[in-house]
Amino acid sequence: MASALKLFYMAVWRNFLIMTRYKANFLFEILTSVLVGGFMLLFSAAFDTSMLGQMVGSTNYVAFMIFGISFQSWQGTALWSAADTFRGELSSGQIDYTFSSPFSRYWYIVSNIAANAVQSTIFFIPMFCVGLWFTSDTLSVTGISLGLIATMLSVAALSQFGAIFAALVLQYRQVTAIFGFFNLAFQFLTGMFIPFQLLPMPLQVLGWCLPITFGMDMLRYYVMRTKSLMPVEYEWLALFVQLLAMSIIAKFVVAWLERNAKEQGLHYI
Amino acid sequence: MTAITCSGLVKEYKTQKLVRALDDVTFDVAEGEVFGLLGPNGAGKTTLVKIFATLLRPTQGSAEVGGYDIAKEQDMVRRVIGYAGQDSERSAYFRLTVRENLMYFAHALRDVPVKVAKDRIENIVSAIGFEDRLDKHFIALSGGEKQLVIVIRAIVHEPKVCFLDEPSKSLDPLTAKRVRSFLKSYASEKGMTICLTTHNMKEAEEICDRIAFINRGRLQFIGTPEEFKRVVTVKEVVEIANFVLDGAIEARLLAIPGVSNVTKSNGNIRIYCDDAFDVLRSVFDFLGEIGIKAHVNMIEPTLEDAFAVFVGSDSAEGE
Repeated sequence: MASALKLFYMAVWRNFLIMTRYKANFLFEILTSVLVGGFMLLFSAAFDTSMLGQMVGSTNYVAFMIFGISFQSWQGTALWSAADTFRGELSSGQIDYTFSSPFSRYWYIVSNIAANAVQSTIFFIPMFCVGLWFTSDTLSVTGISLGLIATMLSVAALSQFGAIFAALVLQYRQVTAIFGFFNLAFQFLTGMFIPFQLLPMPLQVLGWCLPITFGMDMLRYYVMRTKSLMPVEYEWLALFVQLLAMSIIAKFVVAWLERNAKEQGLHYI
Repeated sequence: MTAITCSGLVKEYKTQKLVRALDDVTFDVAEGEVFGLLGPNGAGKTTLVKIFATLLRPTQGSAEVGGYDIAKEQDMVRRVIGYAGQDSERSAYFRLTVRENLMYFAHALRDVPVKVAKDRIENIVSAIGFEDRLDKHFIALSGGEKQLVIVIRAIVHEPKVCFLDEPSKSLDPLTAKRVRSFLKSYASEKGMTICLTTHNMKEAEEICDRIAFINRGRLQFIGTPEEFKRVVTVKEVVEIANFVLDGAIEARLLAIPGVSNVTKSNGNIRIYCDDAFDVLRSVFDFLGEIGIKAHVNMIEPTLEDAFAVFVGSDSAEGE
């Protein structure tokens, strides 16, 4: 049986070949990332940062936003890339070949998300570097490393939502609106762009249930030296528990949705 | 030893009304056999193949592929099968070359070691005469060439049982012939069982050791192509050359005693009957009545005629 590692590295190989063959698109994806970073530099001059300082313990609004945006590139990949892969396979008919092949569907989805996350790293890095440049006062190698580890863990947990979305495609074919809803909700409930502390308590409760909240908070805590939402050890623990719980749920949901989808057939036609 | 066995397979789709796509289908396919599933559109052939390939769950009944139960040992079934679906000529990565696509599917999804996959790909494409396309992007291939890649993908990991759903659908006649002959010899050399669906009677006749005829979800015949033809050789065919068939003429011809079916074929009309001599006089009378002089032949039934007789007789039963 094909291993998850093989599925992963072959998907990375495939994605890079394809990406570099759509040259104009590839170039503009990089340019867009650089452009957003540039605009954030201009944006920084227009902000009163005193409120942010009281809320999160740092007045560096530019870095706050830039880390949110750079995280977003992985968030989109984690949530949506596998569903997008499945939609493509459904409309081309490849889904039948994929699902007649001997490997774990769950690992196929997760490996594809991981491969796409590697691809997204190309667009994450320029933005992240701009963020680091703005945080030179608080920067340390340990801080960057721990911040990145927390980010990756939360992306891994988020990928489990992505696996569920992908499996939903098998059942409902078109889930763009479902994705749009959750994507937007996740961005605003997790402190990605708005300080988490600004949210009303019921929304904060929802935010605690999402791995991005802790990933985002710890990235800023370690890199920008912001105040953490709770003792950071608890945030690590919460992140691990969420990753574990979501993995189990996702594995179960993927198997269940595949089974249901096979009542009517996987193909669009 | 049997490569495929199924017993009492039923598949129902619950849409606005309940549709029974397969109705109590039972048969066996021996190891190394090239087995054809024939039938008109919507007969249930693709549904059956998808059930064998673990892509659909049967409503009732059981089946084994390569000795593994399709419901309880899905993963083992997937390890021993190859699959090329219908209308799947777009089902590879457009911006990868043929070689890269086949390598990805063989190595990543089918666990074939890189070196082995490379050699197999080279061997298969050279046997089919496809070497010059190997480093072309998939998107740059014609529809038939894309279909060919999909067929190669289905066999490159040397499955024990290979399911091909209308494999030569968009191939030109010469390529189709080349692919048929390659598949036949490849299956024989590797001991691979092939189960293919087709409308192409020539294909069934050339490549299949046995065929099963399915209509309206029911298995109506199973045997060799020769036996299939023999079933209808008790029937005979009268052909009227260069004649236009409309509804009124068809009704008149069907009303002649002894006529079981009337079809169009290459601008000619074919009349299926038990005894051509009995029918000929009535046909001539009818042609005289409508003032037409046409060339009338008694011909040897082909596999296509057998197909038409089966479909026709079943429609009559259904009415």
